Amino acid sequence: MKNNEELNYVIKKVNAIFNDVLENDDIKINYETTVKDIDEWDSLSHIALVVSIEKSFQIRFTAKEIQDFKNVGEMCEGILLKLGNKK
Amino acid sequence: MIKGDKFDSFFKITEKVYYGFIDLFEDKNPLHVNDFFAQSKGYKSVVMHGNILGGFLSYFIGECLPQKNIIIHSQQIKYHNPVYLNQQIILKAEIVDVFESVNVIELKFNFEDEHSNTLAKGKIQIGIIL
Repeated sequence: MKNNEELNYVIKKVNAIFNDVLENDDIKINYETTVKDIDEWDSLSHIALVVSIEKSFQIRFTAKEIQDFKNVGEMCEGILLKLGNKK
Repeated sequence: MIKGDKFDSFFKITEKVYYGFIDLFEDKNPLHVNDFFAQSKGYKSVVMHGNILGGFLSYFIGECLPQKNIIIHSQQIKYHNPVYLNQQIILKAEIVDVFESVNVIELKFNFEDEHSNTLAKGKIQIGIIL
């Protein structure tokens, strides 16, 4: 796992994106969060979430990377990996 | 379709489009159907419904792009100048972002009159249906 501080920062930023895209400020995500935990997370909002995350962090995932993420935490680690590769 | 691709489409709000819109949706606000009212508010004549441009946008996305396996996810439009009956309109669009992970394309668009004045502009997000 990446540095916890960095990971927590990314999860916090991704949480804000979830709140914004899903229009629900009560949503609180953590490492283990999956699509089953959030009612508003449907197929169309999933697309909006990915687009917003890619825009916000100025990164691009592949379709396979998105499919392989098992939970929010793995996606956030994927974000950190992309950001690290950009340096 | 890739980032930077540009498209132009030409439209005209004919009587068929104007009266067809009113017939279908019954928006008979005086600004749209009463010349005297529209002129009293500073317009040249009745102002065309803004969502007629939305119809042209739908046609552009559905019929003018090189791919047909597409669906509109979202769109934003801001109106800048009134549009009148029989006015010629140019729709200029450009792909500004591509998200291959989720098969999404974003375009910005600009409706202009014959003097390149902006009538309306916005962004539209479309999905590629696999």
